[in-house]
Amino acid sequence: MGTYKSMETTLRRESTFFAILLCFSLPLVLLIILPLTKMVTSPSLGSLVDTIKDREVIRAIFLSLYASAFAALISFVFGTPLAYVLARKNFRGKKLVEGLIDLPIMIPHPVIGIAILSLATKGQWIGEVLSAVGLQIMGTTTGIITVLTFVGMPFYVNTAKAGFESIPVRLEKVSRSLGAGPFSTFIRITFPLAWRNMILGMIMCIARAISEFGAVVIVAYFPMTAPVLIYERFTAYGLKYSQPVSVWLILVSLVLFVCMRLFARKTYDF
Amino acid sequence: MLKIENLNLDVPGFSLTDINMEVKKGEFFALIGPTGSGKSLLLETIMGLTLFNSGKIFLNGKDISLVPSEGRNLGIVYQDCALFPHLTVLDNIRYGLRYKKIGFDDEKERLSFIVENLNISHILHRFPGTLSGGEKQRVALARVLVLRPDAVLLDEPLSSLDPVFREEIKDLLKDLHRKFETTFIMVSHDFPEVMYLAERAAIIHNGRIVQQGPVEEIFNRPNSRFVANFLGIKNVFSAEVSGGRAMVGKLEIKLVTNNCFRTPNYISIRPEEIVPIDLGTNSYENRLSGVVKKITCHGFYFNVQIEVAGVVFEATWNRKDISEQGVAPGKQITIGFSRDAVHAFFDGH
Repeated sequence: MGTYKSMETTLRRESTFFAILLCFSLPLVLLIILPLTKMVTSPSLGSLVDTIKDREVIRAIFLSLYASAFAALISFVFGTPLAYVLARKNFRGKKLVEGLIDLPIMIPHPVIGIAILSLATKGQWIGEVLSAVGLQIMGTTTGIITVLTFVGMPFYVNTAKAGFESIPVRLEKVSRSLGAGPFSTFIRITFPLAWRNMILGMIMCIARAISEFGAVVIVAYFPMTAPVLIYERFTAYGLKYSQPVSVWLILVSLVLFVCMRLFARKTYDF
Repeated sequence: MLKIENLNLDVPGFSLTDINMEVKKGEFFALIGPTGSGKSLLLETIMGLTLFNSGKIFLNGKDISLVPSEGRNLGIVYQDCALFPHLTVLDNIRYGLRYKKIGFDDEKERLSFIVENLNISHILHRFPGTLSGGEKQRVALARVLVLRPDAVLLDEPLSSLDPVFREEIKDLLKDLHRKFETTFIMVSHDFPEVMYLAERAAIIHNGRIVQQGPVEEIFNRPNSRFVANFLGIKNVFSAEVSGGRAMVGKLEIKLVTNNCFRTPNYISIRPEEIVPIDLGTNSYENRLSGVVKKITCHGFYFNVQIEVAGVVFEATWNRKDISEQGVAPGKQITIGFSRDAVHAFFDGH
């Protein structure tokens, strides 16, 4: 009987503890849920339908998705080797490189835009080279993709790196011992085991890129990405007209991310 | 077959020093040492998975020091098997075949031979995640053996298995070594396992090979206190050896002196060589009277400590010995061991 009673006390104490934890977690969850719910439910169905018929809105959302996906693709092509090297090799200055990769997360976004612009303007050799091959950063989709890659890349590299790190080095060693060269080993072992993390990294990169406003607005006010359009509608027409565009952007992104998450779910036990 | 000359290797916090080793063709060779002695590192160096600072490795007379792992025609089996989790058992086994440039018929024949000999035909289409420890080990062995390597390197193949599987894989290894006529080099920290499987062995301690030779010889004639302790020889005493006797303190022990390079300063006696004797028996050259200090039970056998003139001997006896001789703590008892059982060696440390 005594044991039973003390067990009851323990259980009660445990649930009190969790109740306190919950009380503290709730405000944070509400902070995310409340404004978003309010925004999603405020516009009438009619205004939502009207908005999506607006060619300018469609173009902006499409540009946001397209430019972000392009940024993720660039991160994949150039970030995968970088992530692999960081996951597998130790070298002098590795911490510095890792710090550099994280830097775009910390820098204020307009600063990123200004930095890129200052490098790509005429008079700078990079700007000259770019204009010689017909690439312009200021006010172009190229410019938008450049800044989106800048802000989204850390998320891809870090996620892909974590994926590579989770694969035991032994598997690659065994592959080498069985006759496969380093390239063959990467294609047959490392990539099949890490591609889910690569997809996840690309999702995070896209997510970060879609939401980018500060850097984009400096480099290219036009063509308009969704966040810039939302900002413009807000400043020009007010809350009521910016809300429906925001809702559409959130919906499209949500569907996209859920799909990709489902696609990349399976994991292995090593 | 495999020869290592003056190999030195430095990794942060550890080094292999002056490794000289030779493994004969078709031999079952063991690299033994405690955890952290560098034996697995040496195995990976042989495989070409770790770079080393100086020295040479020869395989069949050819210098392979600079040959990358994939060009060495050696195979490695890790303790955790390291099967590729995204490939079926069959694809795991077939993994290396495409680099061998062998014909379709040959490949098929090799596969069926290996599948039959390792008894894995029923799991070919399963994924490694669903296999038992023993099955994983079989697949890992199959994946290497199907390539017919010059030598198979085994990194503690038995230590992570359940006791049931351990016995099974132990027998399998012995069987495969005979059937495939390949050289096996096994890393282990378990000497009884090595005695059962290997013909020759090298003992590694702190990145150096401290003794190398036939397993039987290492077992009977450890050349240092470290080796003696590692092999579980409990009775290691500092002694003055001259003529046919050794003085341990005031205790005289008879032994067979062999031609030592230096005068021995230690003796060792295996605990199982020491027996309780009746006063009538006269078949042991060494007969000592002492008092039983402590008895510890180890399942099927007992460890008995007997103090003779201030020297504590440790003996391993079974239940029958204990009850027949009435061995109990505090009791006076006579122990005996032959002079052949006493091994003298020099230890400079």
